[in-house]
Amino acid sequence: MIRLREVTKVYEGGVVAVRDVNLDIQKGAFVFLVGPSGSGKSTLIRLLLRQDTVTRGTIWVAGKDITQLPAWKVPFLRRSVGTVFQDFKLLPNKTVGENVAFALEVLGKPRSVIGPQVQQVLELVGLKDKGDRYPRQLSGGEQQRVSIARAFVNRPPILLCDEPTGNLDPATSVGIMRLLDRINRSGTTVAMATHDHAIVDAMQRRVVQLEDGRIIRDQQSGRYETEHVVEVDGSVAQ
Amino acid sequence: MNRLGFLAREALINLRRNLLVVMGAVLAVFISLALAFGALVVNQLLKINTLAWQDGVHIIAFLHDEGLAGIPNGAHQALVAEVTSWDEVANVFYVDKAAAWAEYQQIFADRPDYLNIDPSVLPASARIELTNIDLYRDVQFRLASESQLIRRVETFGEQIEQLSSLSTVLNLLGLGLALVLGISAVILIANTIRMAIYARRDEVAIMKLVGASNWFVRIPFVLEGMIEGLIGAGLAVATVWVAFRNLRTLGDSIEIVSFAVPDRFFLTWSIVILLFGATAGVLGSVLGLSRYLKDEDGSRPISAGARVLEPL
Repeated sequence: MIRLREVTKVYEGGVVAVRDVNLDIQKGAFVFLVGPSGSGKSTLIRLLLRQDTVTRGTIWVAGKDITQLPAWKVPFLRRSVGTVFQDFKLLPNKTVGENVAFALEVLGKPRSVIGPQVQQVLELVGLKDKGDRYPRQLSGGEQQRVSIARAFVNRPPILLCDEPTGNLDPATSVGIMRLLDRINRSGTTVAMATHDHAIVDAMQRRVVQLEDGRIIRDQQSGRYETEHVVEVDGSVAQ
Repeated sequence: MNRLGFLAREALINLRRNLLVVMGAVLAVFISLALAFGALVVNQLLKINTLAWQDGVHIIAFLHDEGLAGIPNGAHQALVAEVTSWDEVANVFYVDKAAAWAEYQQIFADRPDYLNIDPSVLPASARIELTNIDLYRDVQFRLASESQLIRRVETFGEQIEQLSSLSTVLNLLGLGLALVLGISAVILIANTIRMAIYARRDEVAIMKLVGASNWFVRIPFVLEGMIEGLIGAGLAVATVWVAFRNLRTLGDSIEIVSFAVPDRFFLTWSIVILLFGATAGVLGSVLGLSRYLKDEDGSRPISAGARVLEPL
């Protein structure tokens, strides 16, 4: 579903955010991207969304090389990739229902389709009675649920989440993770950047650990940190 | 259709949100187009009036009385016959002393004190229509050779020339003014659009995040500019119509000036002004978007809390 080969991103001023990253994420997988701030997690998410372009290397999403994607085709890529962010990115002057419908309206879906689809996804995220409320009238956890509903409303095969629980308390975070897990079980590939130890440890899913832009660990059913990782001459061994 | 409705709704929301700035842009379009339209109407009025004058008598030669100072009887008719034969002359009307007195009485009918004069002091005259108003100097020169018979020559050529040049100056001024104000209206609309983009930067970023194409993002802004231009132009057209209708009512009492600008002229130019307003709005929007019109190069992130505008 997602494949990165020798991907390097160097920002202006020579800052290397990601270097020589090779990564394969299978269809339907749930992958945590972990590591400290500045390790390259968010840059990877941005590269997958084509918000940034690679300096070197190739990225395939759903079989397409997105590094060669012409600019006018980028919106089509984004329609097949849902995104959830730490700051929710909701439109404050639109209701919950309108925020979710927004994702379908920009795709030109008819109203007859938008209405039921929005209701369905609001039910999935547990907000079916709050469609008429504005984001400011919701708690942080509820706002993040709206954000997930908007990302998932057109059933994208991939969901990218950048610190979705970063602004939430642990109890609320668990609710959000349950929701993401449910979405993943429906067949959607989920890649989530986080540095929330508790969540990663509790979920026991694949963990890709980054440090200084490099992958230093790629472990199935892993924990946030492992004491088995030993760096020897720049290589990684367990 | 659903998509169009959504885009139109977005444009209207834009307009409502930036009401003050939008009003500024609408006013700029209104002022510039009202002045331009006003200049056009004034120019048309001048044209109508100069044309009316051009169609009438261009030269009046006031004649010495026959039978005095060695002027034989029949000299007036001989002069009229001669002048009529000139190539530059289309027509000559002879107004004898009696007709001059009758005309005088008619002109000053409402001023009886002016009528207490000796009618014999009013001279006979030859009223000359030219084939071309530009030839008035030639005819004036030829009449001068009949100086023994002619008391004084009055021409309206200079006045017509002055009116024509005034019309040209007004035309140029109106055009220049409309151009300058038109450009400023376009720039103001561009500025409004930029402010609207800035105000909606998060929304724009989210629209792009969920896969909206660049044109889908741009169209509401273009529509917004077009609506601003159209409202400004509509106000300009309405103002000039109302102002002119009042002027025409007022002008009915002034006989020497015609205010008979045809409705067809108004209708045609109203459409042109409305189209110009809409075009200026679209142009302003495109100008406002130009910095963000480039397709994405993917170099600017929409990261959490980012306050950087992505190119649209």
